[in-house]
Amino acid sequence: MADIEERRSLLGGEGDDGSPSGGPADRAPGRPMPAICDPAHLLHRVVVLGFMCFLGFGSYFCYDNPAALQTQVLQDLNLNTAEFMQLYAWYSWPNVILCFFGGFLLDRVFGIRLGTIIFSLFVCVGQVIFATGALLNRYWLMECGRFVFGIGGESLAVAQNTYAVNWFKGKELNLVFGLQLSMARLGSTVNMNIMGWVYSRVADLVGSPGYTALGGSLMIAGVTCLFSLGCALVLGFLDRRAERILNKEQGKAGEVIQLTDVKDFPFPLWLIFLICVCYYVAIFPFIGLGQVFFIEKFNFSPAEARAVNSIVYIISAPASPILGFMVDRTGRNVIWVITAVAATLAAHMMLAFTFWNPWIAMSLLGVSYSLLACALWPMVAFVVPEHQLGTAYGFMQSIQNLGLALIAMAAGAILDNKGYLVLEVFFCACICLALMASVMLYFVDYQRGGGLNQSAAARAKLQKEATSDAE
Amino acid sequence: MAAVLRSGFWALVVLVSTSSQSSFERQLSVQLNPGWTTTSPPPGGDLLHVRAFGDNDTLHYLFCSQGAPTLLLIHTNSSSSTVQVDWPLFLARNTSGSLKVEPESSILHSTAVVFSRLLEYDDVNDTADPTSDLFPPYELQNFTWSRLNLTGDSARLCGASSSSSGVLCLQLSVFKTDGRGQTWPRLLHTANSSQLEVWIDGLLPRATRSRFLLELQAVGGAYPLSRVEVHRSIDDEYTPSIFKASHWVSAANGSSDVRSFVQWKPVAYRRSDPALEEATPCSHSEPRWQSGETTAAASGLVQAFDSDLDTFGLNVSFGLAGEPFYNSTKFLSWTVLVGVGSPPVDSFSPLVVAIMAVGLGTPVVLLLLGGLWVCLSKKAADSTTAYEPIN
Repeated sequence: MADIEERRSLLGGEGDDGSPSGGPADRAPGRPMPAICDPAHLLHRVVVLGFMCFLGFGSYFCYDNPAALQTQVLQDLNLNTAEFMQLYAWYSWPNVILCFFGGFLLDRVFGIRLGTIIFSLFVCVGQVIFATGALLNRYWLMECGRFVFGIGGESLAVAQNTYAVNWFKGKELNLVFGLQLSMARLGSTVNMNIMGWVYSRVADLVGSPGYTALGGSLMIAGVTCLFSLGCALVLGFLDRRAERILNKEQGKAGEVIQLTDVKDFPFPLWLIFLICVCYYVAIFPFIGLGQVFFIEKFNFSPAEARAVNSIVYIISAPASPILGFMVDRTGRNVIWVITAVAATLAAHMMLAFTFWNPWIAMSLLGVSYSLLACALWPMVAFVVPEHQLGTAYGFMQSIQNLGLALIAMAAGAILDNKGYLVLEVFFCACICLALMASVMLYFVDYQRGGGLNQSAAARAKLQKEATSDAE
Repeated sequence: MAAVLRSGFWALVVLVSTSSQSSFERQLSVQLNPGWTTTSPPPGGDLLHVRAFGDNDTLHYLFCSQGAPTLLLIHTNSSSSTVQVDWPLFLARNTSGSLKVEPESSILHSTAVVFSRLLEYDDVNDTADPTSDLFPPYELQNFTWSRLNLTGDSARLCGASSSSSGVLCLQLSVFKTDGRGQTWPRLLHTANSSQLEVWIDGLLPRATRSRFLLELQAVGGAYPLSRVEVHRSIDDEYTPSIFKASHWVSAANGSSDVRSFVQWKPVAYRRSDPALEEATPCSHSEPRWQSGETTAAASGLVQAFDSDLDTFGLNVSFGLAGEPFYNSTKFLSWTVLVGVGSPPVDSFSPLVVAIMAVGLGTPVVLLLLGGLWVCLSKKAADSTTAYEPIN
């Protein structure tokens, strides 16, 4: 779920060179409007930005509902951990395919406005099905709900990006992306820390804890999705109005997916894919299972466990822009990736082999997770030509979702049969694989002239030469 | 970073070498009702005697349902010590000394564990606090016990209360060598220990929110089991999600020398073939000194053997607040290890060690090889540039 924002760096890069088809300045409206209603005015765009940020809030809030209510879900529905993790797997399955087509559907089939509303509807309907499944104690219905939710969730993030590019291209785009990312993290964090309380309140209301209370609290969580759907509708209206007033075009995700490009992907790109899959499968499924782990191994209270489980997201919100700036300034992406992977390995080993306070390990995990995102995703742009970027990112996300779905199921089964130590060792093994791939990437890149691991200064110099050559 | 990884790798190598312990083997000889000559079984319950011979010592396991079920473990320093039972006196259950070890001087240590009572309470508010609303306890000495059912090196004993349906069973397993139980909690055992699994099956609860406690008494001779140490362990591979082990041992007499122990993991299971979600945590009360006379009155074996009745008792309570009640499955199973020496301690399995060693080792090797290759190619590049013609 949280991976999609990293693509924004790509969109952000493109945002500067594409010329908007209707410059707001030369098409000033005929009659004066208050600034807040004038699509050309910053104040109006700030209002729009608010709606954009909350567009994704619902889906981020509800994505981690199972993790936030892990004990309750397991107990009320009488599930084992493998079945519980299926809820995450079912979210990922549709995205194995949809990552390729999200942009295409937005551009060619629905258009950004209708597309956003449709994806928001999927998210809402998915969450309602999910909650209904819990209300009726029908587990298969909950899985269906997560599947429908998954169809909407990831594509909605693409739509959110497209809106951002459309409204803020060449202006405050990076800031906007940063704000949206922080908002996504906020959604996850609030969910982690509030759902337990919501559940206990609903349980008081219906008399006793049980699947009715669970369904009720998930329905309440669904209100955030409705809220996001509202944002989608308002955005659609405002975007259309702006289009009418400013005569601009509907926004495009601008991704061209050419599956035949895959055979031309260079070897370093495959290593990047491998790092991506092996790394993220040790993060998201772990967070999904984290709550009970902290309760059982470290004797945390449920509230404390939820808090420490959400620290990764909390840290990521401010750390992502800072680390992103740092990586941009220094370059040497491969070294940063190796550092991030090694730090994550250290964090997982702490959780596996020590009783040290998990706040340490989880904070380290939060920082290294943010660092990896900043260093890894932009590397794709260095190794493939620009016209293949859409395909490369689509492919990367697709196999990442495939990995997440498979590993989520495997993680549940390992926990059920072998316990937390072996599960953590399994995650360590995944990270070790990512470490091997990143070490290999370093040497392969070195052999190929070190383009990925250049310092920012060398990179800038090279770019300057290239442009002067072109002139 | 390489140094860190390498040190981690060596730590694992050290772990591998220490985890492979030398295994020690005992010969077992099982005898039901030793010295009982009549063909009909002894009235009041069987007496099982298992001798476990070592190279220069013998462990005598005596398991008996005369009164409350009791396991008596006698450690002798002779490989030829024997147990003598004076059956008329033993069955009369009023004098000490009807069960003797010959030669008496060979006795190093003895410990008896008595399963004396099963307590039930109504946990109305789901607090799992057993001080409130206790029902009249089940006195296990008043249960009707079946004959001992012997299969291999294990024996099963089941008892029923006259006032309720359902059974309480105990299964004793004695071991030749090191190993691990087949079913959860898969306790690690040595040749110096025996395992007792206790389970309640189908016993009708007297309230819908009933929870149970089991009362254990340990009669420990010169070294009574007077304290419970709770050890934390990072290793939950064999007992998923349980990171603790409780060791009921004698108070440290200035030294760390532990003569005997009762060990368990704080978990019970709500099904006979359990999955992880049917695990239910347990807690125990602090051991309290008790009058040995009541224990001797309850247990025929304690009465017959022990004259020094220093007894400590504790309760193990099944289920914590918020956990499902007994009523949900009407089954509870719990396992303890009783043995001499120090309690066995879990170590990492070869699987874990191997994965970590390969996982950490391969990137280090890659890094070294890659570094070497970079150095060589740099040198080669340097040498080619050195001999390059000027133009």
